Amino acid sequence: MTISEKDIPFIALNGVSKTYRSGSERLPIFAGLDLSIGKGEFIAVMGPSGSGKSTLLNLLAGIDQADSGSIQIGGQRLDQMGEAARSAWRAQHMGIVFQFYNLLPMLTAAENVELPLLLKSISGRVRRERVSKVLDIVGLNGRGRQSPTKMSGGQQQRVGIARAIVADPTLLLCDEPTGDLDRKSADQVLAMLGFLNRELGKTIIMVTHDPEAAAQAGRTLHLDKGVFVEDEQVMA
Amino acid sequence: MTFWNFARKSALRKPLRSALLIVSVAMTFLIYGLTAGFVAGSQGTAAASDELLGVMNAAGRGQPLPMAYLSRIAALPGVADVSPITRLRGSVGDARNVVAVSAGDPDKLLAVSGADLGLTPSLIDALKSRRDKVLVGQSLAQAQGWKTGDSLTVTAFRTKKDDGSRDWRFEIAGIFEGKNASTDTHFILAQYEYINKARARGIDTVWAFALRPEPGMAAQDLAPQIDALFANSAAPTRTMSEKQFLSAFLSQYADVKRVITLVVGVSFVTLLMIVINTMVFALRERRFEIGVLKTLGFRSPQILLLVLAEALFVFVVGGAIGLVVAKLISLATPPALGLVIGAQVSLRTIALILLLGFVAGLLPALSAMRTPILAAFRTR
Repeated sequence: MTISEKDIPFIALNGVSKTYRSGSERLPIFAGLDLSIGKGEFIAVMGPSGSGKSTLLNLLAGIDQADSGSIQIGGQRLDQMGEAARSAWRAQHMGIVFQFYNLLPMLTAAENVELPLLLKSISGRVRRERVSKVLDIVGLNGRGRQSPTKMSGGQQQRVGIARAIVADPTLLLCDEPTGDLDRKSADQVLAMLGFLNRELGKTIIMVTHDPEAAAQAGRTLHLDKGVFVEDEQVMA
Repeated sequence: MTFWNFARKSALRKPLRSALLIVSVAMTFLIYGLTAGFVAGSQGTAAASDELLGVMNAAGRGQPLPMAYLSRIAALPGVADVSPITRLRGSVGDARNVVAVSAGDPDKLLAVSGADLGLTPSLIDALKSRRDKVLVGQSLAQAQGWKTGDSLTVTAFRTKKDDGSRDWRFEIAGIFEGKNASTDTHFILAQYEYINKARARGIDTVWAFALRPEPGMAAQDLAPQIDALFANSAAPTRTMSEKQFLSAFLSQYADVKRVITLVVGVSFVTLLMIVINTMVFALRERRFEIGVLKTLGFRSPQILLLVLAEALFVFVVGGAIGLVVAKLISLATPPALGLVIGAQVSLRTIALILLLGFVAGLLPALSAMRTPILAAFRTR
């Protein structure tokens, strides 16, 4: 039996605890959470509101910090990095897709996609080529000059995905990417995420309430009160 | 898209608000440009010379000096040329139409002030052709509609003729243009001998001596030597440069420079408060967006730079508009108004634009830089 790349933990959470302060009380979110995700996996995280899905995503994105435990991604301890290092790490290795797209209205679609590339020392010509390439991947080539405010929700989310992958990250974090879309647009976005996972090898972690969206993933984690209660593996 | 383009687009995201901010900045720097131009021009700091010296009575400008001082001053080593100057102020026609007449020795005036006033040998020859001939500065000639050959009568406020009349009749022998647009040419040049011989009182006295030091002789070194020469005489002198004189003359009425500095300072503080307040509120609306940028990997210093660049954009555009309009106004107004916006004023204005842009952007930029991502996301 050979060990595939997916069997080696790309993401490893060990004993992660997180509490939030609410007035004088401390509300526990996670108490010793463990998680292991292989490289190239497509994971859906489901669970009721308040179960800790968003907190998990924030911890993985390095925009929130655990009280204790370790968070290791691609061999690097995210929990031991300072803020500047985590920002640099996100710019280098991570793409984030938001539920409400979070595109900047004063920029064109192409300029929104180009934003993460402004952080890299690459020429304008290379930047434009990469933007054009990812807009092509998401099926929006020729729409780069359009303002996102004049696009449909589905198109805006595709711009959001293009922005998330333009810097060629290894990890995509998606926060309810279909939560604001109609079924048809949602299916197109899910198909695109599936393509990015299968064809480009992106590791994807998607928080969702939508069972149909979760069905696109190779593995679904059910979170409830800060604990993984079920780990469904879809056999290909 | 470059980082600067991104900042520009961010600054212009609300076009009306951005336009109003830019107009505020433009108005402030228009006021600054005009007042700084006034200080540099009317105060004589641009046109007045540091090299020309004026010798006056130390007891006050209204007090005369004896003409006999002329030869002693002229004999002093380092003095190239010296001319006696006497003044006559009065009105032409309407009592409110006040003019100033400065009378000197024509040849010495050419040597002392010829280059600055734009006097030529032919103009001086025309002046000398008859004792009542005068040269009129271009600015005054334009304002009065006078031309060469015209006659005019100045009714003096104080200087009486020996026949008891205050009416001094002159004929215009020529118009002098001044070295450049900032030169004060709003006066009449007459001959000392004519005024001196015809006046009832103060014969053989002067209001001042104008002198030019020899090349290589520093004016500030010569001035104390002249004053030392007459220190123990009945009429001690006070010697100063033309620039010092004009500055001191204006400060008789008020410290113009200080008043202008205060007015401009207050307008700058007001502008800063408006811009900082607007930018802080604008950024409060954009906290979520700042959170998104940080999530995408923008580091705190980059957020700081972005917001600073936005403030600088508003100041650079607004300041440039204000400065250009001030320059156009200075070119369009008559030289008598004394607005001079030269390289020094322009460079100082540009430095102020950059400094104030930086100061105005700093507070909102620091606030944006310190905003935690999760706190930014909670604002939606």
